[in-house]
Order: sequence, then structure tokens, then C-alpha cells
Amino acid sequence: MTDAWIVILGLAVATFAVRLSGHVLGQNLPEHGPWARGLQALPGCLILSLVTYLLLQGGPQEWTAGAVALGVAVISRNLPLTMLTGVLVIVLLRTAA
Amino acid sequence: MDATAARQELLSGLREISPLALGVAVYGLAFGLLAAQAQMDGLQTGIMGALVFAGSSQIIAIERLVAGVGAGAAILAGLALNLRLLLVTASLRDELSGRPWWQVALGLHLATDENWALMHAQRAKGRQVGYWYLIGGGLGLVVVWLISTVAGASFANAVPEPRALGMDFAFTAAFIAILRSLWSGKESLPPWVTTVGIVVIATRLTPLDPTWTLILGGLSGAVVAGVLGRD
Repeated sequence: MTDAWIVILGLAVATFAVRLSGHVLGQNLPEHGPWARGLQALPGCLILSLVTYLLLQGGPQEWTAGAVALGVAVISRNLPLTMLTGVLVIVLLRTAA
Repeated sequence: MDATAARQELLSGLREISPLALGVAVYGLAFGLLAAQAQMDGLQTGIMGALVFAGSSQIIAIERLVAGVGAGAAILAGLALNLRLLLVTASLRDELSGRPWWQVALGLHLATDENWALMHAQRAKGRQVGYWYLIGGGLGLVVVWLISTVAGASFANAVPEPRALGMDFAFTAAFIAILRSLWSGKESLPPWVTTVGIVVIATRLTPLDPTWTLILGGLSGAVVAGVLGRD
């Protein structure tokens, strides 16, 4: 078996095991109190974590585009429009630079 | 829920994932290009996409393989990036509980950042969407991921660089829009400030790997929400 096949099958099994473990973990947490509140806040915090990290990897151009996207998101609450604006602004800034 | 309602929810998930799927398609092409460098053909690339279905970890694993670290180290790198999915599927508790095993398995396999975040964002807006919305979005993403990665591997010479099209910023913008929907007023402030603070500190002041930074940032906010919040 080639290395590529080993990686494909190994990563497939490992990834599903992670997804399944998360499920088992979630099922066994209490439904009220601190654990439930934490679990409920988790999606927002995890996505915020990702956005913060992505923006830190960028520079002033990414921060400006991010701020414009945030403005559009706050006003419109519209996903496609926010994506379109963000991409347009970053392309304009990079072309201008 | 009856079959008609489930089908309608699935179709709206499928429809509403399309802007995010466009971003995924660009990354799919880029991944296909990488797969071609690892001497993978279209079939192999397609099988990997269907079986693993976790874009960023596929990219990291094959990038490592191309770098020559060996299969074991490549799998480990991909696995580390996927630890984030542990928290994603843990928070699907209500959607998956009480379902037959095949629906649980399907929901888990199709859970990605994009359709999971979109579902939570719609719910935060007050819409009654759940399991079938997640599945609809996931199915849309699988199809787009398979077509784009296989096309990238098969036509490696004609693939443009995502950065040149500004598409590397598409997901940042998408997640900003999703964050707007997940903001639930004043009670979000302490956990969110904590998350941002931890990620900034970990990224700028410690040599911590990005995978752990993301998990630490997400968990610390959730802990603050759990300890300080009120039911």
C-alpha cells in the first residue's frame, strides 16, 4: 500500500473517531447548570477564536476588510452580502497596495 | 417531524449553504492541486474527500506528505487540526439525541465548520432549523468538495491561486457574518472578550501551535459563560 492510501484511510478513521468522541462527550454532559451554559456558548466562542486567529495572521489590509465586513454584518445580518463585501474590499486593498 | 417538513428543511440547508460552498470550491481546487503534487489521481482524491471530509486537515496531511515526513506524521498533523471537531460535534447534542444510529453517523460525518456554524446562526435568528438543515448543508458541501478537489487534481495546471482572487478572505468574512448572528447581547460579552484575549496572547506571546490556540480560545470563553452565566 502506498503512503497516500495509508494517509487516506488513517485520517478517515481518525477523523470519524474525533467526531464520534465529541458526540459521546456531548451526550454525557448535564443538561442544566454550568456545563450546559458552557456548551451553549461554545459555538460562538470557537468561531470567534478562529476569526481572531485568522485576522492576527493578516495585516492592516485584512483588518480593514474585516472591519468593513463586520459593519455590513451588523447592519444587514446577511451572509452572502458580508462575504461579497469582504472579498471585494480585500481585492481592492491588495490591488491598490 | 414528518417527512415533508424534514425535506423542506434539508432543501433550505442545501440552498443557504451555497455562498459558503463557493468558498469551499476554491479551497477544493487548491487541495486538488496539492494532491496532484503527492502523485494522487482523481479517484484517490475523491475517495479521500468522501471518507475524511474535513478540508483543512486533508490539506495539512497531504502537505506534510509532500514535505516527506511519512504517513504516520502526516496523519497525526491532520488529526491535530481536527480536534476542533470534537467541540463541534459535542455541541450537536440536541440535534442528534434520540435519532437512529445511521442518522447519528451521517450527521457526525457531515458536520463541518461551515454547515454547523450556519445552522447555529439561523437558530440564533429565531428560525426552527436543526438536524435536516445541517444534513442539507453537509450534502451540498460534500458534492462541491468532491467536484472541486477531483477537478483540481485532474486539471492541476489550470488552477488559479485563491489569494489572487481574494478568496482566502471569503471564510473570514463568512464567519464574521455568522458571529453577528450568534451574538446574544450583553451576556456574550465576558466569554467573547475572554476568547479574543486568550487567542491574542497565545498567538503573539507563546509558541503554541494554532490547533491548540483555537481550542484554548474556544474553551476559555465557554468556561467563562458556564461559570459566570445564569440559566
